[in-house]
Amino acid sequence: MLSRVNVSGVAVFVLGLALWEVLVRTGLLTFTYLPAPTEVAVGLAEVVENGELPSALAHTVTAALAGWALAGLAGVAAGSLLGLVRRVWMYSMASLEALRALPIVAFVPVAVLLFGFSVQTEIIVAFYAALWPILLNTIAGMRTKDRLIETGRVLRLSRAAVLWKIRLPAATANIVVGLRLGLSTSLVLTLVAEMVGNPAGLGFLLVSKGQALQPGHMFAGVVVIGVTGIVLNAIVLGLARLVFRGQLTSAGEV
Amino acid sequence: MISCRDLSVTLPAASGPVHILADVHLDVGEGEFVSVLGASGSGKTTLLRVLGGLQPATAGSVSCDGTPIDGPANGVVTVFQDYANSLLPWRSVRRNVALGIEQQLGKPERDARVDEALDMVGLLERADDYPAQLSGGMQQRVQIARALAMRPRVLLMDEPFGALDAMTKATLQDQLQGVHAATGATIVFVTHDIEEAVYLSDRVVVLSGRPANVGLTLDVALPRPRNQVSTKEDQEYLHLRHKVYEALGHDVGEQAHA
Repeated sequence: MLSRVNVSGVAVFVLGLALWEVLVRTGLLTFTYLPAPTEVAVGLAEVVENGELPSALAHTVTAALAGWALAGLAGVAAGSLLGLVRRVWMYSMASLEALRALPIVAFVPVAVLLFGFSVQTEIIVAFYAALWPILLNTIAGMRTKDRLIETGRVLRLSRAAVLWKIRLPAATANIVVGLRLGLSTSLVLTLVAEMVGNPAGLGFLLVSKGQALQPGHMFAGVVVIGVTGIVLNAIVLGLARLVFRGQLTSAGEV
Repeated sequence: MISCRDLSVTLPAASGPVHILADVHLDVGEGEFVSVLGASGSGKTTLLRVLGGLQPATAGSVSCDGTPIDGPANGVVTVFQDYANSLLPWRSVRRNVALGIEQQLGKPERDARVDEALDMVGLLERADDYPAQLSGGMQQRVQIARALAMRPRVLLMDEPFGALDAMTKATLQDQLQGVHAATGATIVFVTHDIEEAVYLSDRVVVLSGRPANVGLTLDVALPRPRNQVSTKEDQEYLHLRHKVYEALGHDVGEQAHA
């Protein structure tokens, strides 16, 4: 286990923090509201203790995960349909290309207008953000090698069995990539929705702490957001490896 | 058992329709081992795909036991040359072999059949490995075992040993002889290797011409079981091999002049 820890990488990170601390303390770096790492740590302790951070974190993660999970169901189902049925693909290709080219953030004010300052807005934005990578990667994954499909025919598998036993497992590695990309974009867009829309969660915490001139608390929020992204990604990857070990190993993903 | 009458196949290509096979007559009897030989691009694989129900005939008829073939027929299993693309890389050897029978059979019988098939190709001890952990020859044996687990009456093999080295090839040829003797399955074996065709077959069929037709049919009356050393020193073997080379060489010569 110890051999897997990148010691030099960690050392550089710690040195960076130390340098930041020194620069702020010595006054070499003069921003009015730039806290030293130790002040950020103190701020973190304060917002954890008064309960602001845990409730904001819970709110944001719940909204992001809810949108992401819905996008997972819808994206894999729609992606399978689009990848497998040529006619569906032909009819929807133009609309998909047009929507895909639209930057997702542009959708946030629209969602706020349509759904109000609510947690539904956050979930819908997270859903929309995660839908694209999941959908597109599922479509790509459904382009199974012809020989595998022929193998299914030779062994006289039913159409359902070819889908379930050959096409979906062959697409698993792609789908997992889509799910991971979707998770990080849904977290980002949930935060944006909280900053400009629903006044709740970590996104609103950042904005309100900035306006209240509490940089220690604000930076603590930034750190927590970063760690949340890493942890969520690790959980999804770990679960995927547990459930789809064979498929991911064969795709060289593990 | 298998019968082709006036079989023609025309495939679309970028430069227009290409006539691959024309008026092919071929009969394969029950339990017979027939090799189909031909130069590269001569239509061997197309013929096999038609027999396997993977490619429809443009004209003529193809039937198995009197039933017209219009899709992969029951009891007729194709083994492809590219084993790497034909195995499911996320399934263990055992589950790959079970793929064709797991829906129809209960677990005990399925396991028994998988074991039997793996035993026939000598891979029983690798049952829990994944394809990527096996050599090319072993992967091809897994594909053959998967076909055998179906208990096929007809095995259609498309250059199954074409991508393997000479030593592995010889071993698998002898294993296939054993499978043929043990199961009594009818085997149609496509190859471009003349020695292999003569060594394994009851009958060698050479495809020639463009579009291709059956050019030469040669009965191979060598005694079984055959042996890589003694059979290949047999006068009759050498004579048959000579005749096939002649048939193919003549064909190649003509093309070179044209």
